[in-house]
Amino acid sequence: MTETAASAPKTVARRPARRRRASAARLIVYPALGVLALLVFFAVFADWITPYDPLKQSLMEALQGPSMHHWLGTDDLGRDVLSRLIVGCRIAIIAAAEATSIAILLGVPLGLFVGYRGGWWDWSVMRLVEAIMSIPGIMVAIVIIAILGPGLHRAMIALGILFSTSFLRLARGVVLSEREEVYVRSARVVGTGDARILIRHIFPNVAPPLIVQATLTVGAVLLAEAGLSFIGIGVQPPNASWGTMLNTAASYMQLDWFLAIPPGVALVLTVLSINLLGDVLRDRIGRGIAVPAARPKAPKRPPKTAPAAGAPGRRPSPVPAPDAVLDVAGLDVVVTAGAGDEVPVLSDLGFSVRKGETLGLVGESGSGKTITGLAILRLIGTTGRITRGRITLNGRDISDLSERQMREVRGKEIAVVFQDPTTSLNPAFTVGEQIAEILRTRAGLSRRAAMARAVELIGRVGIPNPAERARAYPHELSGGMAQRIAIARALSCNPSVLIADEPTTALDVTVQQEILDLFRDLQEEFGMAIIFVTHDLAVAADICDRIAVMYAGEIVEEAPVDTLFSAPRHPYTAGLLAASPHGATRNPPLPTIPGTVPRPGAWPEGCRFAPRCPHAAPACDAAIPLGDGGHRVRCIRADTLDLRRSA
Amino acid sequence: MLRLIVQRVLALVPLLFLVSVLTFSFTSLLPGDPADLIVGQQGTPEQYALVRHRLGLDQPLVERYAHWVEHAARGDLGTSFFNSVKVSDAVMQRLPVTASLTAVAALIAIAVGLAAGIAAALRPGSAVDRIATLGATFGQAIPNFWFGLLLAAIFAVGLRWFPATGFTPISTSVGGWLASVALPAIALGFASSAAIARQVRSAMVGVLQQDYIRAARAQGLSSRRVIFRHALKNALVPVVAVLSFQITVLLGGALIVEQVFAINGLGTLAITAVRQQDIPMIQGIVLVMVAIVVVVQLATDLLYGFLNPKARPS
Repeated sequence: MTETAASAPKTVARRPARRRRASAARLIVYPALGVLALLVFFAVFADWITPYDPLKQSLMEALQGPSMHHWLGTDDLGRDVLSRLIVGCRIAIIAAAEATSIAILLGVPLGLFVGYRGGWWDWSVMRLVEAIMSIPGIMVAIVIIAILGPGLHRAMIALGILFSTSFLRLARGVVLSEREEVYVRSARVVGTGDARILIRHIFPNVAPPLIVQATLTVGAVLLAEAGLSFIGIGVQPPNASWGTMLNTAASYMQLDWFLAIPPGVALVLTVLSINLLGDVLRDRIGRGIAVPAARPKAPKRPPKTAPAAGAPGRRPSPVPAPDAVLDVAGLDVVVTAGAGDEVPVLSDLGFSVRKGETLGLVGESGSGKTITGLAILRLIGTTGRITRGRITLNGRDISDLSERQMREVRGKEIAVVFQDPTTSLNPAFTVGEQIAEILRTRAGLSRRAAMARAVELIGRVGIPNPAERARAYPHELSGGMAQRIAIARALSCNPSVLIADEPTTALDVTVQQEILDLFRDLQEEFGMAIIFVTHDLAVAADICDRIAVMYAGEIVEEAPVDTLFSAPRHPYTAGLLAASPHGATRNPPLPTIPGTVPRPGAWPEGCRFAPRCPHAAPACDAAIPLGDGGHRVRCIRADTLDLRRSA
Repeated sequence: MLRLIVQRVLALVPLLFLVSVLTFSFTSLLPGDPADLIVGQQGTPEQYALVRHRLGLDQPLVERYAHWVEHAARGDLGTSFFNSVKVSDAVMQRLPVTASLTAVAALIAIAVGLAAGIAAALRPGSAVDRIATLGATFGQAIPNFWFGLLLAAIFAVGLRWFPATGFTPISTSVGGWLASVALPAIALGFASSAAIARQVRSAMVGVLQQDYIRAARAQGLSSRRVIFRHALKNALVPVVAVLSFQITVLLGGALIVEQVFAINGLGTLAITAVRQQDIPMIQGIVLVMVAIVVVVQLATDLLYGFLNPKARPS
């Protein structure tokens, strides 16, 4: 995020990310299916296509490399490796099918039963499963094989028993969550039998995760079978399986390393294909974690050009007010949407705040209030960027700073209080540590001094027993208390600007007022300018000196708080005021503004509020600049409309 | 903290009991009679009866179990059926071998898994992410023993950088120990590093989108601090569960990888014991393995509590 002011970049047409992902999935699925199809083909037609008898020994031809006669060479007894490999395909399929079926047939019914029955059955079976799972799987298989004796089918019974535990737990989990669902309970009420409920109602829910689990099990079985055959307790010589072939290869590693390659590659390719299919299935069935779209290549930092003065609806940015702590002028911000196109989210944004002043940013959800605060701090992530405009902080243009310089600004000069204190505090550290960390790393305090100051700050924001509270974790505090901590953290480095992003919205109504009072007190003491983002006009009226009303990414009106409330000049402001329960003293139901804020990218050409405006006229189709002076408004008809509320 | 440890240790007692009953009854189901094997086909019925009596096989199952538990509690796991070696001695002699192999493999898996997972999570969709994801996919499909064979072929047989077989105890030579354990540990740890990398990546991607990460950045903390302190501590919470499971997997995998490098660990002991139906030996090995798993689980539980304050008992 180093690009800043520039003329709007050309958006290079990119392939939509969704299509790219779909084709990537296809790129995986088809080769994987191809490998498995080949495997099945070899397994079925092994008897016809093997060039030699896989068991026929020919000691004269032992340990030969690949040749015209033996494409993959011969083993220690002169047997043809290719033929043995092909027969190994059959063994692999039999092994996977046997063990997986046993695991499912054993695990699923038992899991359904204990999950549904609960009580003693459930308890004892689950303890048994836990005990088995605390022994390394291969050791369980070894013990079972010790009882049954070695050999392919016995080894697969062992693996089936071993892997049945995961199916048991899966089926039980589904039953436990479905058992209390309304449809199951109502089926029980109307007298449906238990077996019928299990089979007809609950089992279908097990099927999707079951398919995924089965796929993963097939891969695991193949690896386990090869491992057991490799250590000599699975498939027994002279029969060929990939594992026994690798066993032979291990003994002759010094003489002929190539022996290890064919069975190993066959095994890896097969398991890889199955695992990849399993992954795709899991994503389809919806348990996977969505991969965010690839980061689009940001255009190289374009040459910085002066804002186009002739752009419609845009005034040349005025020189920042001399007493302003923070002055934003002509700010344009775009974000990259899912499809890879850049969509404007803020346009021609301009305002300034003075020391000790509180500016409200007000508007409906989606009007761009929050992104404004983040854009000032340049915290709009890797997908958003500022394309034009100037941000002046304490007389210095910060829109140009490098990321490193910007980091110096964050916290020290501009700090933020976020909406939800329970998510904006790190759950893994005590609140005292979180404040002290800022003081240590940003203000250079010693560990001890930082903690002492943190406790002091916690006391300052009105929390009793600060020393004790400093040792609390966020989840041990109430929402109001946590927000006080977040405020203390924001103020720890004495910033000149505090951005408060809906700081009271997530709180209980009774706590809201206390937090607002706290902001007022702290502003008096610390003298910082506050940008107070809120959708609640009553809150804004309470705490702000001036209010800027935002709509669809731009400011539509800005005025001192009293003026705005008594004499709004923009129809949107008037609509908001009318819709606010605190402003309305009338009995009839609250009027609402019909429609919703248009999404970024769907903004109308001219006045963005026009489609919802009761006063819209043909002149509103052209872009409208924000006026000048103490009461700025972005409405072509502002002078002719009388929107004052009848008190 | 102490209370948590005591609580957990007490909870382990029934588990150990259950596992011992399981292995005892399982091994008693072994077909054939060890006495047959010992006496041989020329043995007289008198010899046979004598051997059965000496091994305690003429006692009822429950009595045999009680007898075994009584001795096991005192650290005596019995004597091998086939030579007069004490099971505890045989197991304790092999345990350091398997344990050091597993431990080194676990360290490799954790280091590689963390590095690859974090690197991938920082730039989802980037080349680094794709390479790490691809590596993780391959890692989970490559059998450890085959990977071991390849490593041995290249680095031991071909380049002669490492010994191809055998194990040097750490007490003999630290360098020799490291050289003898390096290839098997890499072969063993690779698949686990893949599993850990996957888990780290997905946990980290989720955590990096959290509000508290944005808040930490908004306070001007350095990226390194935000990622390695604020994000990682939270992202490790789900990873710890995988880690505990992976160490169990590694312990099992060690039994097989030992065979590739002709290392005389618990794996060889177990396979021989199974072939000879040496019941006391199998019981001893299983019990020791479960004990290791249980200790690892206890350690990861404590780590879990450290990482996740919400999981601590108040």
